[in-house]
Amino acid sequence: MPLTLERPDTVEEVRLDAPWSTVVWNDPVNLMSYVVYVFRSYFGFSHAKAERLMLHVHNDGRATVATGSREEMERHVEAMHDYGLWATLEKARS
Amino acid sequence: MMGFRCDPPNTLTAQFDPAERQLLRELATQLIALLESAAAPADDPVLARLLPDAYPDDADASAEFRRFTSDGIVDRKVHNARALIASLPEPDGTASVVHLNPAAVSAWLRSLTDIRLATASRLGIVDDDDGMEFLNPTPSSDGLDPLRAIYYWLGSVQQSLVEALSQPSG
Repeated sequence: MPLTLERPDTVEEVRLDAPWSTVVWNDPVNLMSYVVYVFRSYFGFSHAKAERLMLHVHNDGRATVATGSREEMERHVEAMHDYGLWATLEKARS
Repeated sequence: MMGFRCDPPNTLTAQFDPAERQLLRELATQLIALLESAAAPADDPVLARLLPDAYPDDADASAEFRRFTSDGIVDRKVHNARALIASLPEPDGTASVVHLNPAAVSAWLRSLTDIRLATASRLGIVDDDDGMEFLNPTPSSDGLDPLRAIYYWLGSVQQSLVEALSQPSG
């Protein structure tokens, strides 16, 4: 009998509150290379993804780099402030 | 400064002359003094940038966030600045090579960022195009304001550190 993994088509994540986003803003000080380094080392993004997000920040003035619970996003924002990046959190746009 | 290079397995090295070491030591010491002063971010533009509002449209939530996080962030920034100072050879010593292990690299990157943010704030740098000239030095960089020259130099040190990190090691 073949082993089949149960994989429901619709997975609804239960959230106690609305999802939040971590937003990183463009600033004139941080080097592009450093922002890529931060995205790679903290979030574990691939180089390609880190660079894409960095360019988003640079060209659009801001980029959402993570979404999730408010508590989790506050941890990310705190970590970004440790790195000297200008980060904020906001309710995710649905 | 000669740029950072990767010295396998796990060390980045660079040469700094005595004046450069003294400058880094002074800037890191000033940063520590600012962080350890009891000044509120609302009263100091540098602190406001180092500890930005987490909720731009909600002053209460920002204050709450700061209440729970700022002590830790400040402690870690002070720790990084102290680590940067500790990794500099003694001012009167003959050694001029800085050796950074991965923990020291991480402290340097963050502390250089904090020092650059503080310097940029003092210089009033607000535009993307303002302050990146060190990447394309031009003859007109002569006769720069000294603080601005320091700011460019700090950027080139950090750029060199990030580049050395991304070199394949071994």
